[in-house]
Amino acid sequence: MQLRPDIQIQTVIKAMMEDVIPAMDQTNQLAMQSAQLTIGTLTMIAQHLPLAYRFDCDELSRLVDTAKLLEEQADGGSQTTVAVDNLRLAQAVAEDVLSRAKAEPGEILDAIRSLRTATGDTVRAVYEEGAEQVIKTVESTVLNSSKQQLLRDRSWLLMQGWEPDPESVPAIESLLPAIAKG
Amino acid sequence: MINVDKNNPSPEWIAEMRKRFEVEREVDRALTYKLEKRAGPAYKTIPLQTLVDGVKALIAANVSGDFEIKNPHWLAGGASKLQMGFDLDWQRPGVGRELTRMVLRSDLAEALHATSRAREFQIVNAIKTVLPVPPVFWYDNTGEYLPYPSIVYGFAEGVTKPSNATSGVSGLGTFMPKDVREKLAPQFTQHMANLHTFDFRNAELSAFDIPQLGTQNAHWAVNWWDRVWAEDADEEVPLVALASAWLHKNAPAVDKLSVVHGDFRTGNYLFRESDCQITTWLDWELARIGDRHQDLAWSTSRAFSIMAEDGKTVLVSGLMPKDAFLEAYEKASGLSVDKKSLHYYQVFNAYAMVAMTLGTSYRVARNGKSHQDVLLAWLLGVGYMLLDEMRDLIEQGA
Repeated sequence: MQLRPDIQIQTVIKAMMEDVIPAMDQTNQLAMQSAQLTIGTLTMIAQHLPLAYRFDCDELSRLVDTAKLLEEQADGGSQTTVAVDNLRLAQAVAEDVLSRAKAEPGEILDAIRSLRTATGDTVRAVYEEGAEQVIKTVESTVLNSSKQQLLRDRSWLLMQGWEPDPESVPAIESLLPAIAKG
Repeated sequence: MINVDKNNPSPEWIAEMRKRFEVEREVDRALTYKLEKRAGPAYKTIPLQTLVDGVKALIAANVSGDFEIKNPHWLAGGASKLQMGFDLDWQRPGVGRELTRMVLRSDLAEALHATSRAREFQIVNAIKTVLPVPPVFWYDNTGEYLPYPSIVYGFAEGVTKPSNATSGVSGLGTFMPKDVREKLAPQFTQHMANLHTFDFRNAELSAFDIPQLGTQNAHWAVNWWDRVWAEDADEEVPLVALASAWLHKNAPAVDKLSVVHGDFRTGNYLFRESDCQITTWLDWELARIGDRHQDLAWSTSRAFSIMAEDGKTVLVSGLMPKDAFLEAYEKASGLSVDKKSLHYYQVFNAYAMVAMTLGTSYRVARNGKSHQDVLLAWLLGVGYMLLDEMRDLIEQGA
């Protein structure tokens, strides 16, 4: 997916700064303040977005460490016993989640891009050198896999309004399976 | 995709692009110009006076005698151009002293199309005997006089849609009322016929290379967008690689070379609202000498079609059903419509539009090179619908 938040945010900020704000009533303090805050918020989102996943994993990791210490240290009455039992359960869930959070979003994106490139190169090579039947087979494979991916791409962007028959495109939530638990 | 910094292309990589894709010489020059400027500054708002000064210099280099630019003002120019309207008080050759309404169309730091103003100038001048086009006066092909390459036209009267009609961005999806489209449709068809039967051999079209009969024109056309994709796209799309290979493998032989507009559709002509007469055809920057089926396929593209009031009749270019259009075209032009070639150019056109939207739109917006980056980033999204259309077409077979 080429239409990603980084370029969307960048172009919206530019449009705000170069087109919208100069055209606004500069004496309208509320509107000017809101516009500046909009830019500031978008700038912050652009900065945070690539790090948000790492930020959360880092926090979760330290919370797990802290929980383990507390489970050893916490001592008291029945209320404490119940709390520690709940802490232990939450820590186990957190450790399971962390054990499955092995790759960063940026790594996944890099792998996607790398595999896209290698796939494209393979298609070109087959068309250049392959026998007719091999070309037909490869063509069919790429057309089929593209159909699946494009359905998701189009659904992802459904709200833009490009689809001539939007009712025929399923909602993106129904097309993306949840990541399996270990 | 090649592991290079496309935002700062090296001379070696530019040379590699030029060598790898055989295109017309002036197409090569325009694409090379784009790459050589890419590492330069992003687009900055240009004061109107800068354009006035630039157009003064351009006119002074081409006109003898005194002249004065009056009433300069901005005009809407869409996502690809800046436009300035002005009146020129001058001694017009063959006419005498005149106040002529003119329009300056200026490129941006980079835009949806990296094309040649010399080609645009020549084709509009050449075609004026058979099609209504605005007068074209002067051009600056390399930004010698103006901040960016530019061309000066005479002002053309007319509208792209009735005042009460609706349409999307870039005139896409324009809905014409029945009485309007019934008057426009025959002209639309006849004008395309006139264009495709125009004898270009004796015209001054030195910025165009004339392909041989056969498949050369198709390969040049595909190479053009192969190169745009290679230069502009950020991430590879396997289907795009497949489409390029498919297009080269299945290139049809052209039986007659024609001038092809390249963007022949509703939204690119003006008409008088009072009598619905088409007054001018615009946007010639993608014109080439090639296969008429390229225009036929473009005009009948799903992207430029709308649904009639009955909710079941698809109107090509918002004007008429496809079969009626093709039949009328054959009658008006005396040229046949080959279904296989039409299908091929449907794939080709989808391929070109994918390169423009997913490739060029991204690159221009990424580097802040236009005055409407937010629009280009938005347009990027249509690329996936176009990819899906292209996929369906390839699946239907050569």
